[in-house]
Amino acid sequence: MNILLCCAGGMSTSLLVTKMREAAEGKGMEINISAVGLNEVDQHIDDADILLLGPQVRYKLVELKKLTEEKGIPIDVINPIDYGMVNGKNVLEHALTFQK
Amino acid sequence: MNALMGFLEKYMLPVAEKIQGQKHLQSVRDGIILAMPLIIVGSIFLIIANLPIPGFSHFMAGVFGADWSKKFSYPINATFSIMSIIVCFGIAYRLAERHKVDALSSGAIALSAFILSTPQVLMFTPEGAKKAIEVPGVIPVTLMGSQGLFVAMIIALFSAEVYRKVIQKEFVIKMPQGVPPAVSKSFTALIPAFIVLTIVWIVRLILEATSLQDLHHLINLIITTPLSFLGGSLWGMLIAVLAIQLLWCFGLHGDAIIVDSLMAPIWLALMDQNRQVYMANHHADLPNIITAPFYNIWVTAGGSGLTLGLVLLMMFRARSKQMKQLGKIAAAPSLFNINEPAIFGTPIVMNPIMMIPFILTPLIVVLVTYFSMASGLVAKPNGVLIPWTTPLGISGFLATGKISGGAVQIVNLIISILIYYPFLRLYDKQKYQEEHTPSQTNESFDGSVNV
Repeated sequence: MNILLCCAGGMSTSLLVTKMREAAEGKGMEINISAVGLNEVDQHIDDADILLLGPQVRYKLVELKKLTEEKGIPIDVINPIDYGMVNGKNVLEHALTFQK
Repeated sequence: MNALMGFLEKYMLPVAEKIQGQKHLQSVRDGIILAMPLIIVGSIFLIIANLPIPGFSHFMAGVFGADWSKKFSYPINATFSIMSIIVCFGIAYRLAERHKVDALSSGAIALSAFILSTPQVLMFTPEGAKKAIEVPGVIPVTLMGSQGLFVAMIIALFSAEVYRKVIQKEFVIKMPQGVPPAVSKSFTALIPAFIVLTIVWIVRLILEATSLQDLHHLINLIITTPLSFLGGSLWGMLIAVLAIQLLWCFGLHGDAIIVDSLMAPIWLALMDQNRQVYMANHHADLPNIITAPFYNIWVTAGGSGLTLGLVLLMMFRARSKQMKQLGKIAAAPSLFNINEPAIFGTPIVMNPIMMIPFILTPLIVVLVTYFSMASGLVAKPNGVLIPWTTPLGISGFLATGKISGGAVQIVNLIISILIYYPFLRLYDKQKYQEEHTPSQTNESFDGSVNV
């Protein structure tokens, strides 16, 4: 499974990536997690199975939803508190609920 | 309070969506982003050429020769001084890409149109001569740098719009089947290119016949000067900062919405004016205080809202578990001016207590920094652009070439700590009490914020 995270510059989501990877390792799961800036979503969306937005760029949800619907993958905004506390475990579990 | 927040959220989100989703503004932002790495690299040479270390100049002269600082200006001239070319190409490329038409052709046409709008002459006064002579056959570098930025933006948007309209109306030369796609593509670009260049050419002829001379003069008169006046004023900065902080209070990326989409070209051009004066004479009084670095380096030192001060308070003064834990999480990113943990973890978002210092602190810091620079106490930004993730203290020094630039950041940090302190105490006390009221602990931790 490939999880793609996105925020304005891909900076703060990269914090979360580290914690999510730790959580995934803890579960013994093989999951690819990466973070990109808004500009790069187009280039990375093809490899993604789910797109998660940082809450601060949720104004992009409507626009990016068109893209993810084209690709047939789910999209969601990360819970702000989990985002702030860099709670990789919660965000990972949230992402996994979308898994078919 | 919640009703008010809900009401504002309902109206703010669509505005943010509009500003950030607007294709032209997005493309302008992308074009500027394309030039950023080059400008930062140019800045490295600018910083090295001006290191305030005794004996350094002598050492460099020994290595590179007596005219070493001139040699260091080569890469500066190939980055800063051609930013409009890069921006023009980038905008037209990205806008075409958004419209799903051939981006590379669009970029090339826009670049050609930009040069067409620029008179290829240079006024030059030879030594000893009284009158300037016109030197033909040159592309004036002064208009390829920040001075030409708005012309480049307008030409790029215009050119890419005409290009895609012509293509999308299928008003193109269709090639028979079997013609290699590349050949067909080059013909496809012909008609829109012809239309774009003809229009720009006619505009140039008209302007040449009037006292306006050329597009650069016209745009400078009606757009650049008024925008620089508004965006480059103290009030302009205060209003921008207020809008940015308010957006963050609703959990929206204020910087990306206000700075990247609206203010960046203005502040960048003002920054580059300083660089040009600085390169000509290191001791000259620099023209602008409000510039791109003023915001990136001083007003957001430690993250938007200068939350590094808040995070330090959490680490060393907080009693509640949640604040202590957050302090630890947020400290390292905050040093590099990334503060989403502080904004969403505290949370400052939708938090009536913490919103007050979050809005107040950067406004005060704008005033303190502005007047310390205006009075000459602190050096003004010299036009160096450094990555916004550079830690405070260092960043202020690099962006001015003077210790005072870093020192005022430390003063600002102390100011931020003083402003945040009473509010954090109050909020921390609430959190502490919640944590020690057994029945409510979990509920309040999860349910205190509804974004």
